Amino acid sequence: MDLNKYRILFIEEATEHLSEMSSALLELEKDSSSSEAIDQIFRMAHGIKGMAASLEYGSITEVSHCLEDRMSLIRDGGELGSGEEVALLFRGLEALEAMIAVVRETGKPPPPSFPAAVAFLEANRALANAEPAPEAKKKALIR
Amino acid sequence: MTRPIELERGNDMTRILVADDASFMRQMIREIVEAEGFEVCGEASDGIEAVELFKELHPDICTMDIVMPRRSGIDAVRAVVELDPGARIVMCSALGQEALVTEAMQAGAKDFIVKPFKPDSVISTLKRVIEKEE
Repeated sequence: MDLNKYRILFIEEATEHLSEMSSALLELEKDSSSSEAIDQIFRMAHGIKGMAASLEYGSITEVSHCLEDRMSLIRDGGELGSGEEVALLFRGLEALEAMIAVVRETGKPPPPSFPAAVAFLEANRALANAEPAPEAKKKALIR
Repeated sequence: MTRPIELERGNDMTRILVADDASFMRQMIREIVEAEGFEVCGEASDGIEAVELFKELHPDICTMDIVMPRRSGIDAVRAVVELDPGARIVMCSALGQEALVTEAMQAGAKDFIVKPFKPDSVISTLKRVIEKEE
């Protein structure tokens, strides 16, 4: 496999994906239940994850996977949960932008300890801990 | 992005349609299958194109990504199987998509491969599906 060729393709496609993700995120900020925007962000994160995993870019895979899972939760719930959740998604987008910039500039993936990635993953964990468990959330919705 | 590809081919070449919204993934599958002597007869970048190209090209086998814009891979499987109940479709999935893979298999897909792709496993799955259905 010509890694150089795939790295260039990755940078091109991931950059397009991030731009689409950014537009969708702005849309979602305006309309917190826009299923189109939710689906778009999910697909962009999923796409970046697939490419990053193929290139064995562990830190990018982890962040995009985490963002994809978060979007999947939002999709199941039908809308954004809170203002903190919007901030988290922007943080995820920024982390991915910074990480892809590293690949573009150095030809190598960012390290696992990449600050923007660590900050996003920690913020996601903190928000997950502060949220009711999915079952409790569902029950609350039914009531 | 619709790209029917006409190539001069031998009678025994397996013709494959590759459906994935990422050109990165399509190239990767192309490289893997061409090294094994398959012919990529077309590339689709969403579920609607996948169904259209399947109708037009009648490939021997098709790889179908699950998550695609406009029409999902699972919906595309349903449409293709309705057109051709014998269609050989292999889903491309990622770890954690087991439920969607099951849904695709119920819709008529024959097998699946998991990203990141391992060339040996891609080829053995495709060959198994072709041989089983012949």
